[in-house]
Amino acid sequence: MLRRPALAAAGIAAAATLAPLCAADAQNTTIRLRMKTDIRSTDPGTNRDGPTDGVVQHMVEGLVAFREDTSVGPLLAERYDVSADGKTYTFTLRPDVRFHNGAPLTADDVVWSWQRYLDAATQWRCRPEFTGGLAKLESIAKTDDHTVVFTFDRPSALIPATMARVDCGGSGSTHRDSVGPDGKWRDPIGTGPFKMGEWRRGQHVELVRFDQYASRDEARDGYTGGKKAAVDRIRFVVIPDAAAAKAALMSGASDIDPDIEPEDFAELKARPGLKFESATTMSMATVIFQTRDKVMQDVRIRRALALAIDTAEITDAVTAGTAKPNNSVIPISSPYYTKVQAGGYTRDLAAARKLLAEAGYGGQPIKLLANKRFKSSFDVAVLVQAAAQQVGLKIDIEVLDWATQLDRYTKGDFQIQSFPYSARLDPALSYEMVTGPKATQPRKVWDNPEVEAILRQSMQIADRGKRQVLFDTLHRRQIEELPLIMIYNEVQIAAMRTALNGYKAWPTGQPRLWGVTLN
Amino acid sequence: MLSYVLRRLAFTIPTLLLVAMAVFTLVRLIPGDPVQLMLGDAADPAQVTEMRRALGLEEPLPVQFVLWLGKVAVGDLGKSISNGLPVLPLMIERFQVSGLIVLVAVFFAALLAVPAGLLAAWRQNQPLDLAIVAGATMLLSIPTFWLGLLLLLLFGLKLGWLPVVGYVPFSENFGQALLYIVLPIVTLTMVEIGVMTRMSRAAAIDVLRLDYVTHARAKGLPERRVLMRHVLPNAFAPTWTLIGLILGHLLGGIAVLETVFTLPGLGRLLVDSIFARDYPVVQGCLLFTALIYVLVNLVVDLCYPLFDPRVQAE
Repeated sequence: MLRRPALAAAGIAAAATLAPLCAADAQNTTIRLRMKTDIRSTDPGTNRDGPTDGVVQHMVEGLVAFREDTSVGPLLAERYDVSADGKTYTFTLRPDVRFHNGAPLTADDVVWSWQRYLDAATQWRCRPEFTGGLAKLESIAKTDDHTVVFTFDRPSALIPATMARVDCGGSGSTHRDSVGPDGKWRDPIGTGPFKMGEWRRGQHVELVRFDQYASRDEARDGYTGGKKAAVDRIRFVVIPDAAAAKAALMSGASDIDPDIEPEDFAELKARPGLKFESATTMSMATVIFQTRDKVMQDVRIRRALALAIDTAEITDAVTAGTAKPNNSVIPISSPYYTKVQAGGYTRDLAAARKLLAEAGYGGQPIKLLANKRFKSSFDVAVLVQAAAQQVGLKIDIEVLDWATQLDRYTKGDFQIQSFPYSARLDPALSYEMVTGPKATQPRKVWDNPEVEAILRQSMQIADRGKRQVLFDTLHRRQIEELPLIMIYNEVQIAAMRTALNGYKAWPTGQPRLWGVTLN
Repeated sequence: MLSYVLRRLAFTIPTLLLVAMAVFTLVRLIPGDPVQLMLGDAADPAQVTEMRRALGLEEPLPVQFVLWLGKVAVGDLGKSISNGLPVLPLMIERFQVSGLIVLVAVFFAALLAVPAGLLAAWRQNQPLDLAIVAGATMLLSIPTFWLGLLLLLLFGLKLGWLPVVGYVPFSENFGQALLYIVLPIVTLTMVEIGVMTRMSRAAAIDVLRLDYVTHARAKGLPERRVLMRHVLPNAFAPTWTLIGLILGHLLGGIAVLETVFTLPGLGRLLVDSIFARDYPVVQGCLLFTALIYVLVNLVVDLCYPLFDPRVQAE
């Protein structure tokens, strides 16, 4: 007699427990986006990594930002003018912009933000660029409430691009109340389309729509253009495990995974209720050489490896046919990628064997470092090893965790690495990552003063045509001198529920959830 | 009894000191730098040095150790390099998640495994024994992450009964919190049942062979009474030791399970911190784990006389 009421009570309890979940789903105007790891902070460009930048860019905006085609355009600035000598930048601010606390954006706020960035105590990642690296920022002055003048010690074509850099937090302007009385960072009070909601460490970061957001009139264009939030909230959910992330997407527990593994693409494509967006990013899958190593210093051995591998085949295998091969440091999606950059290495096993014989290579084992945090690094290493074997090059793979590999890279302590470089949105910055004196920066793989001089030139001039000529020269020399083999630019594939509309992948690889709706 | 407890607690101090030294040294022997990881592949060498100095990482290692130990002595485990948060509250917050799941799972596992082991021993080499041993061996052999994923796919994705990812604290919504931790608890329970059943069975077989059990049976006691009164208490003692070891081991973090079910537990914190070379958090977590281990074993030892009167706490 007692059994049935007990069962009924249990059923009611279970229904009561499940009901809020179902109701929550029905009323949801929250977009849930998967992140592989938690963010490190909310302070733009300081304690950061890729996911941190992606979240922060929804809240904070800088004077300029990258457009879809990776050129730089104004964001908080209505316009900016550069003096004839290229040393003075005058930014005119948009008059209607407000911070998340309701305060209007003024020139004082821009000056305060930049002074904070340039303070060594802030530990802004891009401080070295503006204290002499790129150019020294000699003064930031307000001329009226909506005009700020930046004066540098020398001209550089990369000033706007560096200001816009995603890893610099877009040099975002924040309200001074973002910092507590003790000088410590609290939460970002920015001008972005979303404001800080809740950060549950290890679980999620939730941002709330900023209703007073003053959007630009243009269409959405990279990190600039129109940026109106179309949903109430966006939630960046931390799901480290790829299988769990896949299950979350398929069950509707997340709405979008902005970076699925290429091998999951085919499986997910067959599932109903999902759609995809992809873009070639500017991050690079490379094989880098230590040119001071006693074996690898011989360019003939490096060339033999380059001729042994089939770049297209490796790209196809590693990215499941989603990426295109590219032997140039200049990314495929860059406007500077032309038919010159399309020229690279063609597989020629006979020529490779001949080069090895000429170099007197006696079968000494060569160590190739790779990691599994970035799966493509390991996959590329395995395929390079197999290709090398065909011409008699003996390569041993050593798999390290990412921190250890990065340490070996920074110290220059390696023979070869399968190394993933993060995205740089200007070709000069891409070349800058690999070029420089090993004596002071052991991580640099291309140590050639002539090349550095060409690179410096490309950083100083703004004329597109002249820069193209310099980049063409750099590409030809890279192919000839072989400090590294570029394999491909990563393709980022976003998988999302069909209910999600308006999401677009782009070359930075960062998610953008303004203008995105959820039906 | 009190003096015994105090003496045992006093013994933990040199143990923890040794653990602290070992942890501090080993963590720093691993190649990799937290600042390099923060600044990435284009780190400016001068900026790396500047940040390392600000974090106190440029001091000689013995100085860093003494400074850290001095703070630990007053309960300050430092601040995370990754997010600047104080380590102790961060660990306690994460431990609440792991601790709850582990305690509940181990409780259920023991509740099922001990009688199962006893039954198997009682019916040794008979079909029931074979079935229990086969089941236990199977559970023992299944990797935690695989079982977790299977349950997640079945109950989360196929049937849609339970949420797939996430965590809700009990203080926020009891019903939802329950739903989110069902699968992790079931997974861990199933995994731990295997080893506990095997241990419980082996211990019960040993006891069943002893003379006093034969004597009890000869007196005409019913089998149920023989098993419950004479076999179970004596056979439970070794299993209790195993439970203590399992608890100590699991309370230090169930990283794989926490990763599969996206739980913000201590294990995930530790693993993430190792990858990020977040020295203060790694040191704090390992020291905390060692302390938990010592305390759990102390509790196990103190409970021993309850199961085996021959063992005296003193």
